[in-house]
Amino acid sequence: MKTTLRIQKQLSQDLRVGWFLTIRQIQHSGKGTTGLIIFIMILAFLNLVVVSGLLIGLIAGSFQQFRESYSGEIIITSASGHNYIENSSALLHFLENHPDITAVSPRHTITAQVLGTLNDNPKKNERVNQVGARIVGIDLEREEILTGFSRFLQYGKNLREDEEGYILIGANLIKKYSAFADVNIPGLDLLRDVDIGSRVRVTLLSDGGSIKKDFIIKGIIKSKVDEISTRMFVLDKELKRLIPVNKEQFQEMAVRTDYASAPALVQQIKEFMGSSEALIQTSDEAIPSFLRDVETTFGILGNALSSIALVVASITIFIVIFINAITKRKFIGIMKGIGISPRAIQFSYIFQALFYGITGSLIGLLVTFGLLRPYFAAHPIDFPFSDGILVATPSGAGIRVAVLLIVTLIAGYLPAKLIIRQNTLDSILGR
Amino acid sequence: MIRAEQLMKTYGTGDLAVTVLKGLTLEIRDGEFVAIIGPSGAGKSTLLYQLSLLDEPTSGEVYLDTIKTSSLTQKEKTAVRLTKLGYVFQDYALLPELSAIDNVVLPILMQGVPYTEAFARATRALERIQMGDKMLNLPSELSGGQQQRVAIARAVAHHPHILFADEPTANLDSMNGRLVMDAFLDLHAQGQTIVMITHEEEYASKAHRVITLKDGDIVSDIVQKPRL
Repeated sequence: MKTTLRIQKQLSQDLRVGWFLTIRQIQHSGKGTTGLIIFIMILAFLNLVVVSGLLIGLIAGSFQQFRESYSGEIIITSASGHNYIENSSALLHFLENHPDITAVSPRHTITAQVLGTLNDNPKKNERVNQVGARIVGIDLEREEILTGFSRFLQYGKNLREDEEGYILIGANLIKKYSAFADVNIPGLDLLRDVDIGSRVRVTLLSDGGSIKKDFIIKGIIKSKVDEISTRMFVLDKELKRLIPVNKEQFQEMAVRTDYASAPALVQQIKEFMGSSEALIQTSDEAIPSFLRDVETTFGILGNALSSIALVVASITIFIVIFINAITKRKFIGIMKGIGISPRAIQFSYIFQALFYGITGSLIGLLVTFGLLRPYFAAHPIDFPFSDGILVATPSGAGIRVAVLLIVTLIAGYLPAKLIIRQNTLDSILGR
Repeated sequence: MIRAEQLMKTYGTGDLAVTVLKGLTLEIRDGEFVAIIGPSGAGKSTLLYQLSLLDEPTSGEVYLDTIKTSSLTQKEKTAVRLTKLGYVFQDYALLPELSAIDNVVLPILMQGVPYTEAFARATRALERIQMGDKMLNLPSELSGGQQQRVAIARAVAHHPHILFADEPTANLDSMNGRLVMDAFLDLHAQGQTIVMITHEEEYASKAHRVITLKDGDIVSDIVQKPRL
């Protein structure tokens, strides 16, 4: 018991003297040097958080856009092998009256073919100017609330509730606007010689037979989400009239709710509907699996880069502390000579290293969450398939701070240990 | 009391071995002011390092009161240096990032004395050697004499049994040298045991006992009436 108390007392004295030395050394050390070390720590932290955060952000940006532009937090679609969502009306009623749901957009979607050139027969060996795509009937007001649909309008004008016979076409369906126009991909057909104001013939392909109707292109819509750029949009009431059967049944319903509560809500909807009635997924579940694979790969890549950054950071801290300790070798010897315990001196170097690590991390956190994340949210990286954002969560950053501090602690401890265990007299005399 | 028995110190090995202390025996009693003199290479500093536990003899033994110091671990020796010994270095050896008072307070804090009391004791120690007005200055802002006085305050603030001084006036002009010597004499007057290496006869004459070393051995050990 006595021994334990003595050890505790000694430890507390060593900590106290170590802390005292740390404070004084930091107070009186060169501001330039301190600033430089902290700057290096900030860079090390940013390297850990931002590089991987941006890599993952390229994919996360596409997930976010998918959610914001198309699916909402929950997307309900026809079950596999079914043409529509069973009991659509009842489901819509349930969704519209659910307290956690802020918006719902039910959509009719049907496979269609669009003929770009109405009168001319193709010449010999010329492909017909037509593409196959999904045509979507939307309620303008609901879609605007859910996805801000009008922002996708790249050229021309948006649909109006009081006008019929107009269509919006995704940019990736028209040669003039498609991102794939300059590559010759076998089997990829794009509408040629078609622009705003052109008349196109839409053939709906449904179980009830094919129905043809001419539309005038009113606008071109474009988004990095394929579900927008490769589809055609008309007023839902107009499309509904054209559908020969099951007019009251929808093929898609996008639901806006709180992101965190989406999984629980999916369960509720499944309980209400029965899982065989429709495919009910959170937006994350609806993400194509190849994108998930890309996310995983980018995550691994980000972690690999972070690991290198961590090694670089630890070596930097080690060098900084080692140089700091070796230039003060004589004074470390003097301290030992006048009876300061080696452990107290070691603590002072560990505290210094932690000071640099904590200060660098705190500034790094401020820069990340106060500057970089809002900046990239406002000015995303323009990546071909997404608007890249910076993915940095408090918990993820917290883990990286902890890792950085542990590395700092070790990198501060080792050089101090190396110098302190040298012979006291040799240190004092510089031998 | 500190006692050295058959103290031998050899540096290097084989043909390159140099024996600096050759089986030296001496005893310094409490309250003595001992000056160790001798030509360069006589082994004065080496003797001081052995007595002050900064170094280990090749053979022989140093007893501090009843403690056989060869049986102490490095950690225990550090603790003994903290509680029982004080050391004044030739080049002052103040810690450059600590102010005068912080330099003095450091060993006191290490003894577990609370902050307030430690600073009060350090303040008194500095005031006693007329350094009260320079307490907050860094060593770089003090003259050599002032730094050495701060070093003395640091060495005695924790009330050591024995104060060792390795040519404390060697780097000082005569005026500052005298101030430092006055500080030693004051301390001795208060009962402090002092062991001082010096080259200067004038300062050696102020000690009560003068030990002369030559070639690693004592050639004379004279108790004298100090010339004040």
